Amino acid sequence: MLKIEDLHVAVGNKDGGGSEILKGLSLEVPKGEVHAIMGPNGSGKSTLSYTIAGRDGYEATSGDVLLDGQSVLDLDPDERAAKGLFLSFQHPMEIPGVQTMNFIRTALNAQRKARGEGEVSAADFIRLIREKAKLVGLDDAKLKRQFNVGFSGGEKKRMEMLQMAMFEPHFAIMDETDSGLDIDALKMVGAVVNELRGPDRGFLVITHYQRLLDYIKPDAVHVLAGGRIVKSGGPELAVELEKSGYDQFIEAA
Amino acid sequence: MTAMAKPSPFEAAIEAAYAARSKTNEAQAAAFDRFARLGLPHRRVEGWKWSDVNAALRAAAPGEVETPEIAPSPFAPLEPLEFRIVNGRIDLPKEDAPEGVRYGVMNPVGTIDELEQHAIATLNVAMTRKTLGIEVLDGVDFERPILIRHISGGAGFSFAQTMMRISPNAKVQIIETYEGEGAGFYSHLGHMVVRDGAEMRRAVLNETGAENVTHGICAAKLDEKARFYQTGLSTGARLSRHETHVHFWAPGSSASLNSASLLSGERHADFTSEAQFRAPDCAAAQLHKGVARDRARNVFQGKFNVWRDAQKTDAKMTANALLLSDGAEANHKPELEIYADDVECAHGSTVGALDDEALFYLRQRGLDEAAARALLVEAFVGEAMENIEDEALRAIFAERIADWLEKE
Repeated sequence: MLKIEDLHVAVGNKDGGGSEILKGLSLEVPKGEVHAIMGPNGSGKSTLSYTIAGRDGYEATSGDVLLDGQSVLDLDPDERAAKGLFLSFQHPMEIPGVQTMNFIRTALNAQRKARGEGEVSAADFIRLIREKAKLVGLDDAKLKRQFNVGFSGGEKKRMEMLQMAMFEPHFAIMDETDSGLDIDALKMVGAVVNELRGPDRGFLVITHYQRLLDYIKPDAVHVLAGGRIVKSGGPELAVELEKSGYDQFIEAA
Repeated sequence: MTAMAKPSPFEAAIEAAYAARSKTNEAQAAAFDRFARLGLPHRRVEGWKWSDVNAALRAAAPGEVETPEIAPSPFAPLEPLEFRIVNGRIDLPKEDAPEGVRYGVMNPVGTIDELEQHAIATLNVAMTRKTLGIEVLDGVDFERPILIRHISGGAGFSFAQTMMRISPNAKVQIIETYEGEGAGFYSHLGHMVVRDGAEMRRAVLNETGAENVTHGICAAKLDEKARFYQTGLSTGARLSRHETHVHFWAPGSSASLNSASLLSGERHADFTSEAQFRAPDCAAAQLHKGVARDRARNVFQGKFNVWRDAQKTDAKMTANALLLSDGAEANHKPELEIYADDVECAHGSTVGALDDEALFYLRQRGLDEAAARALLVEAFVGEAMENIEDEALRAIFAERIADWLEKE
């Protein structure tokens, strides 16, 4: 489903030069699976998620990213979104002046339109968002507010999960969704992912700690250090990392 | 009559028009003499550095005013009580005056003391023939909005005045639109009195054509516990300038002064204001949002003047500009002048481009680049419209903004 082949990415710095962050990263997440990427700070986790989602300034210098066998690297971010690629942001934006429900509905319909599907009616939309809001633990009042304005870090992550539940993406990247969350919120994230989990959907869960993986059982765990995957294994690898730390990999990279 | 020294063609035409008038009173003669000495404001005059009216009118050879085509107002769905001022000529509503208001055509108001040295205000006093007077009676909550359409046509010049009195404990929503595709000059002087416990809401929309030069003044005097909420939206013109002068004369009054500009091409919009706090316990909130692209120019000048007796004044001013092209410009001048010691006053000003991170966020959610940009601009400007109380009115302003975004 998602295949990353020998990906090299250099990110520009302020004086116009670039430094290579991803140095030949290869990874494959088959259909229906959940993979976790763990790694120390500065290993390139966020660069990877931005590159897959198509943020300006995060262009691959070589290698490829394929979704269902097709390269996405030449697509605009919104074209990738329409193909069902979703990124849960590590630091979600506050967007003053944008009413939350209007925005989510506009986004949902933009994706559907790009896929040649009809718009969701206002009534269906409201029914759906109420149901999903309950699942992620956001009350109606929050949905009527400006997007993420004045929300706590935890509420912003709930808003990311609300959108993921609404868009039902084909492939979701969750960039440190667990950071700053308490146990109840972690359980909520687990519930959203487990509800969406299915044979035609994939997840890449980027995290620093093992604890989220208590609620989302990954099919595979990869260690990212120094811009490439240095070790892959089953769920037990996350537990092992929690015990022994990342130092061994920093040395190796 | 004092003759102008080295008048520009436009000034000479104004001078000739004044000289040809048969009926002028002493106040007008004195006002014209002051104007003759001052001339049209230019960039070396304090407060006019970024809005050079003289230069804007120098290029245009003055022509004649023409009767404009009058399109239905975007505010028609609100079924307002509609007044028109066409090239300075006042048209009263065709219906009988509804209960709760009185209006009519009056002799022009004299000089407003505080604006005696204001060249355009003084010119307006000299040139205006008749004044539109509107009064909302004691304690009346006049629910129908009052719409005043300022419409000009052709390449001439015209002048008008309005005088509004909101009686004690009355409440009213005023809407003013500035319209006209011509290359002329239009000057309006609005004189507002908001009496004890009264509330005046004023929404202003300027959608004049690219060659137009418009200057509007609103001088508002607030009595005890009076409330004055103003919202302005301008898509600019060769030069459009809306000035607000608010005087807090008695304790406990409050105001909000919001404005926004949406500018493209070579258009220019200027929102200039002063708030004179002369009594204790008054409050003001001001938010300006300017959007400029191409080679357009957004000007904001705001001044809070807190007099010695105006203790407990609570006043906040914010001006934010969004520049969408390298050639666009924003000029902000926020000023505080405080002589009282127990006050809370603040101002802030920012100029920036669209936030790349926000754009990426919206596009990741499926919006294409144009839609994402439009949404962010709409949100940016929309914040300044939030002090419009009436939902239907706010929705019409939102439509004007959406229309602009679609066209531009």
